[in-house]
Amino acid sequence: MTSTIAPVPHAPAHILARNVCVDFTVAGRVTRVLNDVSLSVPKGGFVSLIGPSGCGKSTLLKVLAGLLAPTSGDVSVAGVTPVEAVRQRRIGIVFQEATLLPWKNALDNVAMLMQVAHASRSGDEIRQRAADMLRLVGLERAAQKRPAQLSGGMRQRVSMARALALDPEVLMMDEPFGALDAITREEMSDFLLEIWERTKKTIVLVTHSIDEAAFLSGEVHVMAANPGRILEAMPIGLPYPRNEESYAAPEFARATSRLRRLLKEGHRQVRAA
Amino acid sequence: MTATDNVTRVPANVDRAAANARMREVLARFMPPFVLLVGVIVVWEAVSRIFKVPEFVLPAPSTIVAVLIAHQRDLGYAAFVTAREVLWGFVLSGIIGAAVALVIARFATFGRALYPLVVLFQNVPKVALAPLFILWFGFDLAPKVVLIVVIAFFPVAINMLVGLQTVDSNLVALMRSVGASRNVILWRIQIPNSLPYLMAGLKVAVTLAVIGAIVGEFAGAQAGLGYMIQFASTQMQTALVFAALVEVSVLGMLFYYAIEWIERRYIDWMPHTA
Ligand SMILES: Nc1ncnc2c1ncn2[C@@H]1O[C@H](COP(=O)(O)OP(=O)(O)O)[C@@H](O)[C@H]1O
Ligand SMILES: [Mg+2]
Repeated sequence: MTSTIAPVPHAPAHILARNVCVDFTVAGRVTRVLNDVSLSVPKGGFVSLIGPSGCGKSTLLKVLAGLLAPTSGDVSVAGVTPVEAVRQRRIGIVFQEATLLPWKNALDNVAMLMQVAHASRSGDEIRQRAADMLRLVGLERAAQKRPAQLSGGMRQRVSMARALALDPEVLMMDEPFGALDAITREEMSDFLLEIWERTKKTIVLVTHSIDEAAFLSGEVHVMAANPGRILEAMPIGLPYPRNEESYAAPEFARATSRLRRLLKEGHRQVRAA
Repeated sequence: MTATDNVTRVPANVDRAAANARMREVLARFMPPFVLLVGVIVVWEAVSRIFKVPEFVLPAPSTIVAVLIAHQRDLGYAAFVTAREVLWGFVLSGIIGAAVALVIARFATFGRALYPLVVLFQNVPKVALAPLFILWFGFDLAPKVVLIVVIAFFPVAINMLVGLQTVDSNLVALMRSVGASRNVILWRIQIPNSLPYLMAGLKVAVTLAVIGAIVGEFAGAQAGLGYMIQFASTQMQTALVFAALVEVSVLGMLFYYAIEWIERRYIDWMPHTA
């Protein structure tokens, strides 16, 4: 039974963070935003970070993605520092907002990072790959459309195609579906799961949706605020492949209720402090 | 303008309905101000006839039209002179304004030194510099162009700077993550992002350019609509003053709508605010 559960428990860590602390200085005052955060994500694993807003989820993701240097602690991605991993194009990033160029069509938006990363490749080669990626996310017919002509879900898929185009080993996503309505959100969840199963990438997803975290992840890291830290790394014992029926599985209900309790606990601690 | 232009791109059957719809839209937009304008002119004409207002105080619209026709060659030449000043001044304002913005955005340290000086300079009442420019550059084109530039480059620079600086920081982070240099980011993200802002600045600048040209001519000139207004008013030829004013307004509108046309034609990713 455990063989169908990902991440494989004893696989070597693909992403490893040890005792990470982050301080921000605003107007001369130092605030600890992340305190002693450690986590490990196996290769091909799907891990979510969940927690109340302001608890440092985005900050942690930025540290893992090499966009922010931690004040102290060590981080490695695929055995190297995140900055080096980014340089080797091992990390793809998707933000909450699709962050597309409004003056370019979907195809050119997907090609945008490739044009810089693979400057030596021909324009045709890059366009071909961009078209392939759009097909992967089911948007081949929207290639010529500008972001303003696309729905929120479609924009987010373009943004995903752009990240996938560089063929990163790791996909880091910061509330990528946060701005979408409930139905589109679930569609995007199914879609992300499908991509993950097909491409075998390691995924770190920031979310504040309990259902989303439980439905998608092999493991959920529950965070609490003030200072930001990980309360518990909770494995989700729901077998993959997951689908509509997974929402009705007893294991899903067990996982979500435990997540809910943990989040409430974190909240109480904050108020008590 | 945009109507005819878009029509060429859609299939013929959609063509008609779309063109009609757009025509109605254009009518709905331009009818009310047009009706109001006609109303004002009619009342003005009636008042000056009924109360026999002396022509040197306020000439009737019909008199102004008659003067526009009678003096069309002089007025035409004056308009040409002024238009040339506006065009040169405006183009240079655009180039200098954009260059200032690019330098401030690209070279942070130098930008921090330059920016306050630019703002400080903006507080100098530049119209007061007009006589100085006449002194330095003569009575011809040059002093007007210089005056226009010092008046009109600022809105261009400030608007474009905002456009260069309000790029999505996540987008910049993504570009950095694949090794994009500052120049690449400037060229591929910041500059395109700034174009709608630049156009807004240019629209302000063109209006200021017309003012600059007229003020420049007031300060000293041998031709142009501003020169004509001043000359005619000393001769109490009030109808000619009004005729020149009409041409100034038409000139300003032509320049303004030319820019708006370019904006709609080439920068179509921003929703247009009327
Ligand atoms: N660049 C920054 N400078 C100062 N404080 C910041 C910065 N970024 C985030 N913070 C603070 O750090 C905390 C965590 O932020 P964030 O990681 O965005 O939280 P989350 O993504 O969980 O909502 C917040 O209190 C936020 O105000
Ligand atoms: Mg966040």
